[in-house]
Amino acid sequence: METEGSGTTSRLADVVQEFASAVVPALRGGDDRFDLLGSVLTQDDDPLAAAAVRVLAADALAPCLLAEKATSERDVLLFRQAIDGYPPTPDAAVPTVWSHWGMRAALGRLHVGAPGGETHQHTAPDTAWVAAQPWQRMTHQLAQLASLALPGLPSPLATAVAARPVDLARGFVRAVRRRDWTQAAGAGRWLTVTPGVPSSLGLPAGLEFVRHMGGADARVALHVRAAQLAAERTRVPSEASV
Amino acid sequence: MMPVETPRKLPTSSDTTADVEALLNPAEADGTFRDTAECKGGGTLLGLLLLSSPTPRPKKG
Repeated sequence: METEGSGTTSRLADVVQEFASAVVPALRGGDDRFDLLGSVLTQDDDPLAAAAVRVLAADALAPCLLAEKATSERDVLLFRQAIDGYPPTPDAAVPTVWSHWGMRAALGRLHVGAPGGETHQHTAPDTAWVAAQPWQRMTHQLAQLASLALPGLPSPLATAVAARPVDLARGFVRAVRRRDWTQAAGAGRWLTVTPGVPSSLGLPAGLEFVRHMGGADARVALHVRAAQLAAERTRVPSEASV
Repeated sequence: MMPVETPRKLPTSSDTTADVEALLNPAEADGTFRDTAECKGGGTLLGLLLLSSPTPRPKKG
C-alpha cells in the first residue's frame, strides 16, 4: 500500500518532469520569451509547483540564463517562492545548500542592471568537499548541482571543479558505463564549462550518446541540451590527451 | 441527496520539504555494468569448450 508521503514524492517527481519537459523545448529555440507556468498544467497555487522549481533549482529559468530569453513575472514570483519556501537548514546536505545559493545567484544575474534589481552578494558555501572527496563521490555530487554549470557565472564551485577536470572526466565515463544517464548528463554539463578536459574524452559524442540513451527522462534531456548550449557559448581549451 | 464534493487538499510547503530534500539528494543509482573483461573471458571460455575435442570414452570390447 502506498503511503501518503511516498505518494507526494511520486507526484512531485512527476511535476519535476513536467516542468523540465517545458524547459527543454525553450532551450532548443522558439520565441524570445519563456513562460514556464504557461507551458505546464500544474497551477502556480499548487505547492508542488514551488517544490518542483526548488528541485530544478536554477534550471527552472535555464532558457533565460542560457538562451537569454525574457522571463515572466509569474515565473519569477514562483522562483522566489521556491527560494523562500525551502531554505537550507544548518545541517543541510551539499546539493541542498549549493542549489539554493545557485537559485539566488541566478535571480541576481537576471536582475542585474534592472531598475530596482538585486545583485548577487550572498556568501558562497564551502567548496572543500570538491577537493576532499573521491572522484566517484565528487562526480555524483556535482551531477546534482549541474544547474550551476553555467557559462559566464563565475562561482567558487566552478573554480574548485576546475582543479579536477580529469577526475570529472573519469566520473563521466564511469556514469556512462553504469548507465546512470542522469549523472552522466550532469557531469557532462560540468565538463563543458570546465577548462582542461582531455579532448580524448570525446565529450560532444558522449553527450549525444547520453541523450540518445537517456533522453526520455526530461531532466537528462535538459542537462544535455544545456551542455550543448553552453558548449556553443564557451569554447574551453582542452588538453591534447589524458 | 446531492453528493458532497470534498475539496482537494493541496500539500503545503512543510509537507513537501522532505520530498524536496529526497529529490535534491538522491542516493547514487545502482549501476548496470557490461564488464568488457568479464564478457571477453566468458566468451573465450565458451568458445574453447565448444571447440575442444570430445572427452575420450573407454573403448568397448
